[in-house]
Amino acid sequence: MLSRVASHLYWMSRYLERSENMARILDVTQSLAMLDRSADSGGAMTPIVITEAQAEFAETKLPATYANVIAFLAWDYKHPSSIRNCIEATRENARAVRGSITSEMWENINDTWIAFQEKSKNIDPMMTGNEFFEWVKERSHLFRGVTFATARRDQPYHFTRLGTFIERADNTARILNVKYAEEAPDTFDEKEVDKETDYYRLSAVLRSVSALEAYRDTYRDVIDARRVAEIMIFDAKLPRSLRYCMDETTLVLDELPTGSGRIARRIASEINAKLRYGTIDEVLEYGLKRYLADFLQDMVKLGNAVNAAYMELH
Amino acid sequence: MHAITPPPVSHFDEMLVWSGIGPSQAQSQFQTQLQQFGGQSQSQSLGPRGHYVPYSNWLADTPSASLTQRRAQADLLFRRIGITFTVYGEEGGTERLIPSDVIPRIITAEDWAYLEKGLTQRVTAINKFLADIYHDQAILKAGLIPREQIEGNTQFQTKMVGVKVPHDTYASITGVDIVRNNDGKYYVLEDNLRVPSGVSYMLMNRKMMMRLFPELFLRQTVRPVEHYPALLLQTLRESTDIDNPTVVLLTPGRFNSAYFEHTFLAQQMGIELVEGQDLFVKDDYVYMRTTSGAQRVDVMYRRLDDTFLDPLAFNPESALGVPGLFQAYAKGNIVICNAIGTGVADDKSIYPYVPDMIKFYLNEEPILNNVPTYQCRKPTDLSYVLANMKDLVVKEVHGAGGYGMLVGPAATAKEVEDFAAIVKANPSNYIAQPTLSLSSCPTFVESGIAPRHIDLRPFVLTGREVRMVPGGLTRVALREGSLVVNSSQGGGTKDTWVLGEDDAPPAKAVEGK
Repeated sequence: MLSRVASHLYWMSRYLERSENMARILDVTQSLAMLDRSADSGGAMTPIVITEAQAEFAETKLPATYANVIAFLAWDYKHPSSIRNCIEATRENARAVRGSITSEMWENINDTWIAFQEKSKNIDPMMTGNEFFEWVKERSHLFRGVTFATARRDQPYHFTRLGTFIERADNTARILNVKYAEEAPDTFDEKEVDKETDYYRLSAVLRSVSALEAYRDTYRDVIDARRVAEIMIFDAKLPRSLRYCMDETTLVLDELPTGSGRIARRIASEINAKLRYGTIDEVLEYGLKRYLADFLQDMVKLGNAVNAAYMELH
Repeated sequence: MHAITPPPVSHFDEMLVWSGIGPSQAQSQFQTQLQQFGGQSQSQSLGPRGHYVPYSNWLADTPSASLTQRRAQADLLFRRIGITFTVYGEEGGTERLIPSDVIPRIITAEDWAYLEKGLTQRVTAINKFLADIYHDQAILKAGLIPREQIEGNTQFQTKMVGVKVPHDTYASITGVDIVRNNDGKYYVLEDNLRVPSGVSYMLMNRKMMMRLFPELFLRQTVRPVEHYPALLLQTLRESTDIDNPTVVLLTPGRFNSAYFEHTFLAQQMGIELVEGQDLFVKDDYVYMRTTSGAQRVDVMYRRLDDTFLDPLAFNPESALGVPGLFQAYAKGNIVICNAIGTGVADDKSIYPYVPDMIKFYLNEEPILNNVPTYQCRKPTDLSYVLANMKDLVVKEVHGAGGYGMLVGPAATAKEVEDFAAIVKANPSNYIAQPTLSLSSCPTFVESGIAPRHIDLRPFVLTGREVRMVPGGLTRVALREGSLVVNSSQGGGTKDTWVLGEDDAPPAKAVEGK
């Protein structure tokens, strides 16, 4: 397969996954906005911090209200990772390789893009928000379903999957890092937190990665910060945990041409080993923030190695 | 009931004909309906031609609402599949749908047999001509074409002189534009020998018609066209002597107006769609960059003009091409289809000589008609053209896409005057032809069904033999009275049906009546 095609497929699915993750973050942000009516706006900035869009948002010179933040992250042309730009980039990448994906996959993405044009004609963030975020998630689910059901299990399929899991791992780590590590101290001293608010915050974090039900099934106990971190990092069966994403990434890399991919596979296996054989106690001892910062750093290295192995044109 | 505007009496309409012509019209339900809308004098009556009777009966039976609904469905499908083209110089939404009309253009088996024979002859002669002018130049030595007409032509690639092209096949893919005049005869308007496009619309139109109106294909034997990609792949594979060659399609990229077609054909043929940046040349061989390393390329179906192919050999500014490609090609290490330098034969200044080529190389009488052409480089022709510009179509010799031309009868006096000045400034850049009154075909427009002018572009493939699928792309000028069918200028397309030999229209036509 052409290197350029691999690159387009990889970025196509990264952008789609990014749009879904953005929708998840904003969905949760919106429900927290209903709790946090004090409008001190500390909470409203969280999604901006997660997606590292502080500079772009500052340029808009808008006050950091929930409504402004949501509108900016969902619809703004100026934010490279806004849902609008992610959907645009997904479709542009898909269009560049529409011959290498199944027609159902292409039509699904093109349909999403066409429907998005319609939706963006009439934007009312707080009113249509939840419905809109659900729609973005659904379109993303649908695309994965179509891919699963129609694509041959060869290179285009593998590169599409690779983009999904690398992006997702990155995102779960960011949500943990910000929503969490910044709000709660590493020690999780229970005296310090307001129990009630904390419950909503933690369950919101779980919901943003579709892990609330999994949490209940796993622990059958009240939601506490330590376990939330544990399930999101180490759970081998939760599709959005770091462990799961890296299991999948390792498997996908094994399916790709091995000659040039040696370094990428080694880095992925190293990251994966830390997740397979690590525990939450070690993480907390080391410091959750530090741990996640290391993880994100490793993911950057992995991304570069994948790019060098398969996608570089020169 | 559909509001139908009848064609003018003097026009040749593909479907409808005034009084007394066509044996079966008396039995047609459609005729009754037409008379209600026609409003011509009572001595004249309008009815469908024999081969259109089954269709027009169906049309008369089909409620407007059902048709409207299916047309909307077609639009939705085209948009969803993303069958778009890019309009240059338009801001914002540059992707546009090509309107696809649901009324087919139908060609009888006899007409097609004639066209197929004529096209085969014409393309065969053109390939011999190209091989000749880049080698022996016998036709120039014989004095049939002035030497400066070839050697002074910007499309003549001097670098190609003496370069051996496998099997002497220069034009593997040709799109020949054919129109039908008021006299009912077919005329070749131009031979597109560089990178003719539109075949994907031919295929999509058929797919859409079969999906939306399956019942129509049970009424008449419509010859299939869906095997075009298979024939194209066979043609490309036959262009080299290598066993099991690696074939690729070279596209300028997704901002090109025909990008949809490039992806579509590559996918249908199961070959890689490559851009210049995917390829590199090493030791005069061409490779593509893949996830498992470099892979040799043996045949390239390029959808990029000569001048952009190789910045080292042609336009040094080209970022779309592959440095060193020409050198690899000249050494015979890759086949490029169409060959470099074919444009010289589809130039409008060379077009008038095609009948001479047929006689010279094949020793045959030309089957297809050429349109009489005035060459403004000749003083006598120039003065004729300047005096009669109002009745002529004047074209740039290298122009394409409906740009840089004047349609005399449709132009204002001021436009004619301005264009005359342009022609006088550089006469050899222009040719002129009498205004052919392109045949019309009923077409869905805002006001209902009305006659619109059409042309036909069959796609002729030259491998070890000449092949084509029956029909081609019918383009339709959607603006009333317009003769410009180009998609960039408000043209649409129609599904083109060539009827099977076994289809006996009159007998079938009255079935059930």
